[in-house]
Amino acid sequence: MLQRAYAGLIAAAVISAFLASCSATPKTGIAHGEELFQNCKPCHGEAGHGNLELRTPAIAGLPDWYIIEQVTKFKGDLRGANPDDMEGHRMRPLARTLYHPGDIENVAAYVSKMPSQWMPPTFTKGDTAAGSVTFNGVCITCHMADGKGNKDLHSPPIAQQSDWYLVAQLNKFHRGWRGYSPEDVYGGQMRAMALTLADSTAMHNVIAYVKTLPH
Amino acid sequence: MLEHYLPRASSFAGDIDQLVWIIAWIVGVWFVVVEVMFFWLMFRFRKKPGVPARYITGKEKHLKNWINIPHNIILVLDVLLIVAAIRVWVLIKQTMPPADHTVKVMAQQWAWTFTDPGPDGKIDTPDDVRTTDEMHVEVNKTYHFVLESMDVAHSFFIPAFRLKQDADPGRAYTGWFKPTKTGTFDISCAEICGIAHGVMGAKLVVETTQEHTAWMQAHAADAATADAGASAPTDSTTAQPASQ
Ligand code: HEC
Ligand code: HEC
Ligand SMILES: [Cu+2]
Repeated sequence: MLQRAYAGLIAAAVISAFLASCSATPKTGIAHGEELFQNCKPCHGEAGHGNLELRTPAIAGLPDWYIIEQVTKFKGDLRGANPDDMEGHRMRPLARTLYHPGDIENVAAYVSKMPSQWMPPTFTKGDTAAGSVTFNGVCITCHMADGKGNKDLHSPPIAQQSDWYLVAQLNKFHRGWRGYSPEDVYGGQMRAMALTLADSTAMHNVIAYVKTLPH
Repeated sequence: MLEHYLPRASSFAGDIDQLVWIIAWIVGVWFVVVEVMFFWLMFRFRKKPGVPARYITGKEKHLKNWINIPHNIILVLDVLLIVAAIRVWVLIKQTMPPADHTVKVMAQQWAWTFTDPGPDGKIDTPDDVRTTDEMHVEVNKTYHFVLESMDVAHSFFIPAFRLKQDADPGRAYTGWFKPTKTGTFDISCAEICGIAHGVMGAKLVVETTQEHTAWMQAHAADAATADAGASAPTDSTTAQPASQ
């Protein structure tokens, strides 16, 4: 008798668990974005501030349109597809996991609402005076005087970002790992700008200046 | 029947399938025979009123034969399986037919990078054609591959070729294949290698000589334009802040 009661209990539990899983409506919007963000945490960190060891940038608080654009580029092999792009190879497959309609928009909405943090400089080298000349001569047009970017020009905020990441990206534009494709119009524009920086020193200088912008 | 679900696109795919079949038949037949016996005995000697349970030691010859005969048959079948398996192992893993082409396959978290030696046939020269997550090979040509991993254990898996080779970092694995069917097939990673293991897929395109030549030429042009960026500063993406 007792055995039968147990069997009945287990059956009831299994059936109700099954029914519960059927009726649970999938989350949508930002709540869904929060769920998706769990997959970003191992690399971009709990708070989305990036991790130097893993070479991941801070993404918390980036504008949603920029996140959507970049994730779409990773997914479409416009970024991170060069055989030598180690960091890109790690991010690109993650972009591929966002394949349901709305996934990218939802995670972007959530990440863009996360509090951003100004990442302190790590480079000690870099001539801010020389960098200021470059920045205020060239970069200012799109990234604006405060380095906060401009949505209309599709240029992201860079003032808050980690300096090592920014220099790395300038290198990637320069080498044609980013912005190489005619399909990637805005990436191509930035690539042209990166090509105006003669060498590594020029890159460090301008980024050293970016890190002096008020936050 | 297997090829109905998964095309056989390499010269040795048939041998692997045959081996899988031999194993499936031998094991399958035994499984059915044993289960039928098992349930029949349970039914035949079920509890009946007035029939006491008998204690059997199993020492008598006619009882021991229930063990001995199947045991001996299984031993013979085992030998058969081992012979069949070794035959395929020698054919695929121990013999390297002379190569028409050699390609390099690099696995890393989470991408496959393929290096085709280009017109000069030598790897690590400027005319190499390097691609990410896309491998192009010519049909009916024997390929040697040199497989390496940059970081953790991966496994190079081409189901249509019936090819699977683990890649541990620090070692170069050599192997071969000969595509026999044109088309596009899947490549995937068959060894858990981190968060994006499940999407570490690549595309394999087996094409005719003309198609392959055209692809190679298109890519050689790409390589030339990409080189425009090769003048970039050398301290790269991995710039260590500490050393700055
Ligand atoms: C396996 C580690 C890893 C995971 C997981 C990961 N990323 Fe990334 N992500 C990276 C790396 C590395 C980069 C830098 C790529 C480069 O240097 O080009 C990056 C870059 C980015 C960028 C570009 C930022 C910029 O300023 O251009 C965005 C946006 C981004 N990730 C969003 C996400 C989102 C959203 C998720 C979760 C769905 C996610 N990442 C999960 C490793 C990861
Ligand atoms: C013509 C407008 C334009 C100018 C001028 C410009 N940028 Fe950009 N920049 C962009 C755009 C657009 C992007 C985003 C590219 C993409 O979508 O991949 C970008 C991206 C970047 C990034 C990558 C940010 C990230 O989070 O990955 C860095 C770093 C950067 N710019 C630095 C500079 C510097 C330094 C200069 C001055 C030498 C400069 N930019 C001048 C338009 C511009
Ligand atoms: Cu892998």
